[in-house]
Amino acid sequence: MANYYDLDDIIAEEERVSVVFRKAVNGVGIDASAETDCVEIDSKVELPFWLAHELYLRKVVKLKVPTCFNQKTRLELGADAACVDLRSRCPYFYEFGCKIARLFNSCEPETRVEGRDLGSFLLSAFENRYKEVLAKAHSAAFAAASKCFTLLTKEETTMYEAAQSSMAAFKKWRMGGPRFQKASILGRKRKPTD
Amino acid sequence: MAGQSDPHVSLFSAEELEFMAEDELVEIVPNMRMEPLNLLCGDYGPFFPQMVTQVPVWLAIALKKRGKCSIRPPEWMSVESLTRILESERESQDVFQVLPFHYVEISKLLFDHAPGDIPDIYMVRSLIEDIRDVRFHKFETSLESFEAARSSAVRINNLSAMEVNIARPFVSRALQAFYKHTSPDLVPNAETVPNRWQQPADPGQKRTLRKR
Repeated sequence: MANYYDLDDIIAEEERVSVVFRKAVNGVGIDASAETDCVEIDSKVELPFWLAHELYLRKVVKLKVPTCFNQKTRLELGADAACVDLRSRCPYFYEFGCKIARLFNSCEPETRVEGRDLGSFLLSAFENRYKEVLAKAHSAAFAAASKCFTLLTKEETTMYEAAQSSMAAFKKWRMGGPRFQKASILGRKRKPTD
Repeated sequence: MAGQSDPHVSLFSAEELEFMAEDELVEIVPNMRMEPLNLLCGDYGPFFPQMVTQVPVWLAIALKKRGKCSIRPPEWMSVESLTRILESERESQDVFQVLPFHYVEISKLLFDHAPGDIPDIYMVRSLIEDIRDVRFHKFETSLESFEAARSSAVRINNLSAMEVNIARPFVSRALQAFYKHTSPDLVPNAETVPNRWQQPADPGQKRTLRKR
């Protein structure tokens, strides 16, 4: 775990992963719609990542690649990374992706068919989208910025906001003028300079 | 160092940088007679009318406010030298021209407090704005290409204090993210396996950041 007290880290672990149970489990209420409190073998359930992670380490479940990293998203990102609305798919796309990718990388070779190149996929997605964030971050006006802003994931948003706020602080300083204003009575006879 | 209380925004605020820039020396022409000032940061003076002497910017501004001196703008703040710098900034995409580390702050301080002492003030002001814009744009384009280098460090020479300070929050976050995503447990062999998701890179694009 990256940082125990990091709120973003905790929320990222709430993302849902679909898993397939390898064993029948008794006495758990994971599936709310089930009539009995047990999960049968080979049943497919969506669990939050933190739970799926633990169950996976105990070899109770098999992980499937989450929908936000499926082939469709990959093709879209390959076509035009900057225009894909990643926020609606998964607000913690990278954070969650890194966690999942570590899990896929650590598992045995025969089961890691789908998720094997997830790490490099995340990297290239970030690289391609980074350019777009960079181009807009320091320059775009607020009105134009709000449109592309809704597409960014949480990680990209922090980068973007950092750039915007530092640029705004600089502009405020530059326009500020002298910190101590002259009393009006002193400058009355002179022509106001600039 | 006295930093801003919120570490997430930036290490220094623009006002703090201005404060640090006030320690730079400028030349003044006093119009009064005064004994030398023996300060902790150094000895300045003695002051005689019409005799040029060097003092820190803060002292120059304090004397100027009382009408005791006129400030001589530094040599780089002349129209000729700024025009030359602007031209060479526009010529080369990779190299940043040598300017004083605090040129943004010093020029702003002099514009605010001694506008009468700078010849061609409108020209000088717009030249400095142009230089800053050109340099920042150049900085952004060189950041664009740095992800191709797959390195965890960036080397850009001759950036000024204010330019670094504006870019710092974004760049440090971006570098952190790149570092995280290129870590070996995520991308087992990033160097050897060509990335099939990556769009074909422009062959004309150079790794500008590794130069010099």
